[in-house]
Amino acid sequence: MFAYILRRIVATIPVMAIVALFVFSLLYLAPGDPAAIIAGDQASPADVERIRESLGLDRPFVVRFGEWVWHVLQGDLGQSIFTNLPVTHMIAQRVEPTLSLMVLTLVFSVVVAVPMGVVAAWKQGTWIDRVVMLLAVFGFSVPVFVVGYLMAYAFALQLEWLPVQGYTPIANGIWPWLSNLILPVLTLGGAFIALIARITRATMLEVLSQDYVRTAKAKGVSQAPILFVHALKNASVPIITVIGLGVAGLIGGAVVTESVFAIPGVGRLVVDAILRRDYPIIQGVVLIFSFVYVLVNLCVDLMYTVFDPRIRY
Amino acid sequence: MPNLALAQNAKVLRFIPQANLSTLDAIVGTQYVVRNAAIMVWDTLYGVNSKLEPQPQMAEGHEVSDDGKTWTFKLRPGLTFHDGEKVLPKDIIASLKRWMVRDSMGQMIAAQLVAMEGPDDLTFRIRMSKPFPKMLFALGKANPPMALVMPERIASTDAFKVITEFVGSGPMKFDKANWVPGSMAVFTKFDGYTPREEPSDWSAGGKRMFVDRIEWNIITDPATAAGALQKGEVDWWENPIPDLVPLLKKNSNVAVDIADPLGNIGSLRFNHLQPPFNDVRIRRAVLMALSQEDYMRAVVGDDTSLWKVSPSFFTPGTPDYTTDGGDILMGPRKYDAAKALLKEAGYNGEKIALCVATDVAITKAEGDVTADLLQRIGMNVDYQSLDWGTVGARRAKKDPVSQGGWNIFHTWHAGADCINPAPYSALQATGDKAWFGWPKSDKVQAGIDEWYNAPDPAAEKVALAKTNRAAFEDVIYGPTGFFLGYQAWRKNVTGVVKAPFPVFWDVKKT
Repeated sequence: MFAYILRRIVATIPVMAIVALFVFSLLYLAPGDPAAIIAGDQASPADVERIRESLGLDRPFVVRFGEWVWHVLQGDLGQSIFTNLPVTHMIAQRVEPTLSLMVLTLVFSVVVAVPMGVVAAWKQGTWIDRVVMLLAVFGFSVPVFVVGYLMAYAFALQLEWLPVQGYTPIANGIWPWLSNLILPVLTLGGAFIALIARITRATMLEVLSQDYVRTAKAKGVSQAPILFVHALKNASVPIITVIGLGVAGLIGGAVVTESVFAIPGVGRLVVDAILRRDYPIIQGVVLIFSFVYVLVNLCVDLMYTVFDPRIRY
Repeated sequence: MPNLALAQNAKVLRFIPQANLSTLDAIVGTQYVVRNAAIMVWDTLYGVNSKLEPQPQMAEGHEVSDDGKTWTFKLRPGLTFHDGEKVLPKDIIASLKRWMVRDSMGQMIAAQLVAMEGPDDLTFRIRMSKPFPKMLFALGKANPPMALVMPERIASTDAFKVITEFVGSGPMKFDKANWVPGSMAVFTKFDGYTPREEPSDWSAGGKRMFVDRIEWNIITDPATAAGALQKGEVDWWENPIPDLVPLLKKNSNVAVDIADPLGNIGSLRFNHLQPPFNDVRIRRAVLMALSQEDYMRAVVGDDTSLWKVSPSFFTPGTPDYTTDGGDILMGPRKYDAAKALLKEAGYNGEKIALCVATDVAITKAEGDVTADLLQRIGMNVDYQSLDWGTVGARRAKKDPVSQGGWNIFHTWHAGADCINPAPYSALQATGDKAWFGWPKSDKVQAGIDEWYNAPDPAAEKVALAKTNRAAFEDVIYGPTGFFLGYQAWRKNVTGVVKAPFPVFWDVKKT
């Protein structure tokens, strides 16, 4: 197992190298000019050119890429073209809100979606099943920003239960932290709950038709242990796979959610950076997100062994 | 929210700016949002009041020699930077040198400069080879880049490199440690600041701070910003979009009013270097069919108190405003005449690369109207939907359209920049050295020169009329109308004024 984990971690190195080259090349080829944006609308073309030179953006691709890689290998993701602040510092400022949003959404979604899917499978064809599937279709179909606005309007503006926007660090207290995250989590969790609930239902239906479930029923095992101990455990591998894949979707959804609720997370950082063409930030965030995603996949693979003893590495 | 929390917030003003503050260097970055932040942190020798008159700010006063070539300024005693160091002439000299590299008026001063010197700690002198009547306006104007005074060690930074230390002598300090670019910028009251005795008036007069801390909350989503203001999570929103203003007006705790009385002038910018708009007849044909009303309704909406047709390159309501030569934009639109002029000029259906920044509501609306206008007069429009970042890079290209160039893009100019030619880079018609589009017109330049050398207001007015006429004759760009914008704030905030930038001094929060 340890050798497998080590092999997988080592295998991330070429993946990261490809990602780095791909992102750098893409940004190099993409239209747009940070010098023009820094200079502002009043600046003359000559001013823009001078700023481009001072930023080193007029240097050849190979030189800029080589320099960036050299610094990355030393743990330095560079500095923001605009703020001159280190990219690692800017990402570090944003990690807590994004991590809070994603972890809470993940936990909330799994806690809600898995029982929903199990119950829908158990009550297949009944009104309960139809309601669950209807909610799932709704959650999957309505765009995140629409849900966000509706939530903010209802629970923040009309009922005044929760804040409209912003983020409070967890160090300032659990409730202030949580109160800022409830609406974003509900918003972001909608589609994820739908996805997990549907896959849970489908897999459970397959497992519930297996002989060993019929045997358990015949032996008089009560419904709850059959569903949540015997069946769910065997249905868990595809569910875990979907959860793992869904993390990528969560990252994308977090970008929108962070914008709607003005949460100072990594998603907003990268969107702002893209609009401004702040290349070092885009490169840094994509590189880190890629690494995180590789690790998530590794965790998913390792979890297979917990839920299905037949899988061994 | 508990009362205790409200009391703690009483001296904190939470403000939603027009855009993200991604740098604080207002010499390198000429964005208005950067200027709006910088004006709190750095002070200027002179300020400009609501009558557009320069008034002493850091300076106590000045003397001009009889030949008009030597300006001697006395500094107010007790001026101190945020790091505790005294403001000295060496700081002013270094700051003005950096500013002169970037600012068009600064460049004119630099071209005639003999020396800048500080005979003593409270005296600063500028010696010129020729009289420069607009000196005080240049030193005091709030148009970016402003002549901000910073410590010599910071001001020595190359004018094209962003500074990393934000130490000024203005009424607020920038809290770099709590700066989260894209989310929050914090300014704290500078206790060492001594305001002038006079009442404040825009960037002139006493800058008295009645809040201890100003937090800029960057909220890019207008609906979220509106919600935050309605719920009292923020106190002041610089630029609510017109669509949301009726909603805000319904809230009894929110006040809404015009933000900047000098407003904005929309702009259809031609590329004068590339065909077909290198032919003035083609540019004129477009103006003959251009309906400012169409543009304004698309940009601002049907609230006619927010916009007006203005056949001028200058800001309505200002002393030197003129419509001389603007007849081409008045009356019924002449589509047939425009088509005939296009034919006479030999336009043969070449594609017009219309670069539209669709992520900016104003330029998107302008672009849509222009596409319709060009099609109506028989032009072949290639509507290119881009983001502002791409348009910003694309417009700098002088190449033919086939090699990545462009024919038309849109923007708008703050009315404060269009009160006269000094801060008005978009009106300069110096060809290759001009602003994007690179117009060349000796007549416009002659008018601008006449304004610079005008000895009195009457002469200035005459010079601007000539400039306006020439700018229409050579079609420097297409003015698409004059429009205003709103600002909104909670009613427990008082002292909010109409100005070309958010004026934080004299603002109180209860």
